Amino acid sequence: MIYLPIAEMPVNVALILLVSGAVGFVSGLVGVGGGFIMTPTLMFLGVPPPVAVATGASQIAATSFSGIMTQTRRKSVDWRMGMLLSIGGILGSASGVWLFEQLLRLGQLDLLISLLYLVLLSSVGGLMLAENYQIWRGRKTRGVSILRRPARTIAHTLPLRMAFPRSGLYISVIPPLVLGYGVGALSGVMGIGGGFILIPAMIYLLRMPTNVVVGTSLFQVLIVSSLVVILQSARTQTVDLVLAALLMLGGVFGAQLGALVGARLNNEQVRGILGALLVAASLFFLYELVSPPAERFVLAGGLW
Amino acid sequence: MRAAIAALAFALLTSSVHAQERPPASELPAAVAEEQIAVGSDYRGSQITVFGVNPDRRGRGDVVVVVRGPTESVTIMRKRQVFGLWVNGDPVTFSEAPTFFAVLSNRPLRSIANAQAIWRYRLDPAASAELASAVPAGADPSAYRAALVQLRRAQNLYQEHSGRASSGRSGLTTYQGGLFRAIVRLPANAPIAQYNADAYVFRNGELISSQRIPINIERVGIERRIHDLATQASWLYGVLTVLLALGAGWLAAFLFRRT
Repeated sequence: MIYLPIAEMPVNVALILLVSGAVGFVSGLVGVGGGFIMTPTLMFLGVPPPVAVATGASQIAATSFSGIMTQTRRKSVDWRMGMLLSIGGILGSASGVWLFEQLLRLGQLDLLISLLYLVLLSSVGGLMLAENYQIWRGRKTRGVSILRRPARTIAHTLPLRMAFPRSGLYISVIPPLVLGYGVGALSGVMGIGGGFILIPAMIYLLRMPTNVVVGTSLFQVLIVSSLVVILQSARTQTVDLVLAALLMLGGVFGAQLGALVGARLNNEQVRGILGALLVAASLFFLYELVSPPAERFVLAGGLW
Repeated sequence: MRAAIAALAFALLTSSVHAQERPPASELPAAVAEEQIAVGSDYRGSQITVFGVNPDRRGRGDVVVVVRGPTESVTIMRKRQVFGLWVNGDPVTFSEAPTFFAVLSNRPLRSIANAQAIWRYRLDPAASAELASAVPAGADPSAYRAALVQLRRAQNLYQEHSGRASSGRSGLTTYQGGLFRAIVRLPANAPIAQYNADAYVFRNGELISSQRIPINIERVGIERRIHDLATQASWLYGVLTVLLALGAGWLAAFLFRRT
């Protein structure tokens, strides 16, 4: 047991390491950031939501930096695109942290977090299951299925176009900025990295080649999550350094192990199981929202 | 420990002789065994022991001990259904609600003092919570007050007990010669702050003697340094956390590098 100085609660060190290691393992296995699993898990363990969101961001920074080290060696980061996404992300995360503070004051933070998780977990989980179903039906061949990208998107018609040599693109700067902003705002409110939204959007909306998508999204996630940690520390003082250290330790090693194991496993099956887990978790959030509460009154107004 | 208690009891007994000479509603001879409580990385809650002596030699009267944490304003919201979802609404704010409140007595409080006295001396956790906002139309303020007490009681932050302490439960015991000892179990989620222990002696519903003893709960060691940094140099704290994250990420990438 160790007493967390900011969350002001004792936690079991082995349990936190186990949980963060497991979440890191799953994220490494299927190649997602894991913030959208980690943060609700922390809340479930009794960590106050503001602390879970703000501290979760530090673990995302650690995991994304670890990933980016590997990606830069493969030269798979489009720095120019990454900078644009990050500029949007910086503005977005500042708005997200501001919104977080306002909702906390109004006592509506838990509502927004529950609603966002409900939508995100069910849609991501549903997509994973749908993809699996299609593979099972034999409509797709085995392997990663990113096909039929549209030839021209809105990114090609908007003004302020600029060249992205590494991605081989000549597109408007507005879509990357807006995309970065949206993901940054989600990151500030929910304590997620947002890679699972960024990656599909970069592929389908910006038409970026798949080999630079992962590295570039990691770069944006690293910049935004680092900024969220600093902003949350300064504005709401909800970042728990001790909890963060435990999460990083479990998370980064779990993720690396997961990536090693994932290379040898049937990717579709793993994704199918994760999809089912995410849908189940979203049902839990749905149940919390629609079932009559046992206690009609709640404490609000303070940080927790 | 036993010897220390005996020594303390003796000191209290001798001092009570002087207390006898004072006018009614005098200072009650009382002390706290833990005036300083240190919160380190192994903190898992604590206990506060309040000793004292009833100045009445024959031990007539009743003893009430209250341990109070700092007060702060608190907002209670009521869940209501909006489009099928349960949403927080109808906020009511109380100023000066105690963050921790334990009231212990040798027998049930209602039979020691009447409602006015309980309210006046704030012997009830709800008594010091003052309504600070307009109550929404059709809402009952006393329901909100009761909800505040209920919610904090569920977190073990509000405790009301009469009779002896048992394992894991606060309580008050009286001994021969008017000596009393109250044990308050302080849960780990109780705020870290300056507390006060108040001891009261009532006779026939009238307060005849009381005493206030401050208790300091403080972070020590690394807990204190981290908390001070987070509150006093919060930007630096954030930057340090990010650097720690980068270090952890770099270490993992380095250790697991595939050659």
